[in-house]
Amino acid sequence: MAAVAVAPAASWLFRLRAAGAEGHWRRLCGAGLARGFLHPAATGEDAAQRRQVAHFTFQPDPEPREYGQTQKMNLFQSITSALDNSLAKDPTAVIFGEDVAFGGVFRCTVGLRDKYGKDRVFNTPLCEQGIVGFGIGIAVTGATAIAEIQFADYIFPAFDQIVNEAAKYRYRSGDLFNCGSLTIRSPWGCVGHGALYHSQSPEAFFAHCPGIKVVIPRSPFQAKGLLLSCIEDKNPCIFFEPKILYRAAVEQVPVEPYNIPLSQAEVIQEGSDVTLVAWGTQVHVIREVASMAKEKLGVSCEIIDLRTIIPWDVDTVCKSVIKTGRLLISHEAPLTGGFASEISSTIQEECFLNLEAPISRVCGYDTPFPHIFEPFYIPDKWKCYDALRKMINY
Amino acid sequence: MAVAIGAARVWRQSRILGQAALLLLRRPGAQGLAISHPHRQQEQQFSSLDDKPQFPGASAEFIDKLEFIQPNVISGIPIYRVMDRQGQIINPSEDPHLPKEKVLKFYKSMTLLNTMDRILYESQRQGRISFYMTNYGEEGTHVGSAAALDNTDLVFGQYREAGVLMYRDYPLELFMAQCYGNISDLGKGRQMPVHYGCKERHFVTISSPLATQIPQAVGAAYAAKRANANRVVICYFGEGAASEGDAHAGFNFAATLECPIIFFCRNNGYAISTPTSEQYRGDGIAARGPGYGILSIRVDGNDVFAVYNATKEARRRAVAENQPFLIEAMTYRIGHHSTSDDSSAYRSVDEVNYWDKQDHPISRLRHYLLSRGWWDEEQEKAWRKQSRKKVMEAFEQAERKPKPNPNLLFSDVYQEMPSQLRKQQESLARHLQTYGEHYPLEHFDKPLVGEAKEWLKLSRF
Repeated sequence: MAAVAVAPAASWLFRLRAAGAEGHWRRLCGAGLARGFLHPAATGEDAAQRRQVAHFTFQPDPEPREYGQTQKMNLFQSITSALDNSLAKDPTAVIFGEDVAFGGVFRCTVGLRDKYGKDRVFNTPLCEQGIVGFGIGIAVTGATAIAEIQFADYIFPAFDQIVNEAAKYRYRSGDLFNCGSLTIRSPWGCVGHGALYHSQSPEAFFAHCPGIKVVIPRSPFQAKGLLLSCIEDKNPCIFFEPKILYRAAVEQVPVEPYNIPLSQAEVIQEGSDVTLVAWGTQVHVIREVASMAKEKLGVSCEIIDLRTIIPWDVDTVCKSVIKTGRLLISHEAPLTGGFASEISSTIQEECFLNLEAPISRVCGYDTPFPHIFEPFYIPDKWKCYDALRKMINY
Repeated sequence: MAVAIGAARVWRQSRILGQAALLLLRRPGAQGLAISHPHRQQEQQFSSLDDKPQFPGASAEFIDKLEFIQPNVISGIPIYRVMDRQGQIINPSEDPHLPKEKVLKFYKSMTLLNTMDRILYESQRQGRISFYMTNYGEEGTHVGSAAALDNTDLVFGQYREAGVLMYRDYPLELFMAQCYGNISDLGKGRQMPVHYGCKERHFVTISSPLATQIPQAVGAAYAAKRANANRVVICYFGEGAASEGDAHAGFNFAATLECPIIFFCRNNGYAISTPTSEQYRGDGIAARGPGYGILSIRVDGNDVFAVYNATKEARRRAVAENQPFLIEAMTYRIGHHSTSDDSSAYRSVDEVNYWDKQDHPISRLRHYLLSRGWWDEEQEKAWRKQSRKKVMEAFEQAERKPKPNPNLLFSDVYQEMPSQLRKQQESLARHLQTYGEHYPLEHFDKPLVGEAKEWLKLSRF
């Protein structure tokens, strides 16, 4: 791991040492393999591999004026702020999960245990099915349960509790019981080096489950408002937090609580030629694709942040596609069975005669999320741009 | 550890996160971090003269003899009982000295349940309801435990605890309504029979997946503790369900989070066809409790007073001390697993008869009542007739009622109906307009005329 991130000075030293050792190695092992092993790439110093810069640029939204005083916050701070607001106004609210007591592995719960007490912000044993089951039980009594699953990749042990229990609690009991005051938060999406088990975007698994809501913010301002809405929503919600944005996304966020409605997509840029739909980190990718399209192709893009995956805002997307006639949906999760397929299917049903080109999906490949190959795996701006170009020229 | 910290420093992203970065890699577990939280460990002097173990993970002495602990399954945890098989009190100091009315309520609840079971099992055989599960042989576990609780204590069951509801005076009409899925069913006809629920009586609606209720019950107990409610939560499950991961999760959470909960395991010998010898190899479920730090007891589940005493004491202490208790009630499932099961395929009729004739909770209590002079043959005959009549009346009424309005297929998925679901509801309404003759609409409650028109009027956007 350390070898990959060698700084320029170190590689010079490295070659110096290698030169001295070379004679010794030649004698022992023969030339070919050993030479390759000891020397950095023959093409020189700049061939030394550096880790990639992020595949997107976070674009902050303008400072919101209607919610009072704002403060510069990154994503994890905006989450902390939402949680702080929740625990302040709802005395039944508790936060729990692995490692949340000291502040959480992503710092989302820093300071909350000291402020609200160890009975309200506490660690659980390492057991996702227990965390969600426990959270459901708290919610059944009417108290507010905010559960953290450390990585979305680890939500699967809790799948039964979420899908068979939480989602169905109200329906199966004829509304005698419900766990609406349960919210599950979890870090989500690619992070540059997360590989199979620290990069997943599992929203599609849950999209198939009536009874829960799945929400994914693109920014700190959106995250706080959407998380507060999830916590206050009377249905169990899963809130996925794009982990790559935890520190990278910084903007002005109101200090006081405010709500952003669920199941409402946001048109963040109006346009006339093609509709681009994404959620979470990918919204920033398609924003850049939209400028590239404007600059290189003279194409005007309408950008929609879906925000809630289920129940999703069909009307806003339809309205946009009726206007533009073209739709491109992009997500990191694998193509097959990904949520883009649901959007595509519904839109072609509803807007068939308005479409000028087949709906395009630019997604991750149908593979587990790779480590070293991440730059090739992700649906970056070039892939999205290329798909857009093909759609325009259809 | 040093290597990991070194590697972490190299990662540009992780530099500032520091300690937290170590946790970005989930494996290995958090044990290694104990060093970075010295304030978390017990107050220990790290003196080189001191030869006591310093490990944060266990409080124990050293031993220099290599010895594996032998699990004790030949002579396991003893089974607490108050009455012998003939209903006589063995140790008078254990007699709960319950008043006559209360003991009669025990008896009537158990026998009424038994009567209802017979009639509803038969009704499934005749095709009147789709499915049923009886409680034969386990009535003592239900009634003894229910009687020891407060009426407001929250109950999470598995599916074979109808006696708890019976004891809490859940009306026959509502048992039947749920089994028939008729218009009076509070569950709105959504679930298979025996999936009862009652908010008023603090009985959480049953769900089919096994053991899922266990960690939920723990969460509810935690909330009750925070609310200073002086309530206990009781969670029932079978010895089969205790093999599920959710059971392990529930036990561990209850102990670490100090929850006022009673885990009540009905060990009835079978999980459908799987005998206990294929379910576990240790000393049943009670022996697992201490592994989690939970106070545990094994009781004779067919002795309603033993169940009562154990539950009563567990309740008192769970609430007072905010800790979980585990009660393993040994019993026997006399009936088949359900109407979809024929247990003669995997056990002998003799075995079943033994339990039915020689060690039945209802007979044992009847012997007790008779010996106390609180019951006699006349009353027995009269009660049998009366209870059967009550059940039959409720049964006939339940059968006559229509099923709920098909609109109820669509509600309660969320608190509010999403627009896409409303469209699906409308599409069914339109479909029934044309194809209604192919559907059993005559058995269902009709939508109000105005409602039907509304559905057709609402246009798609």
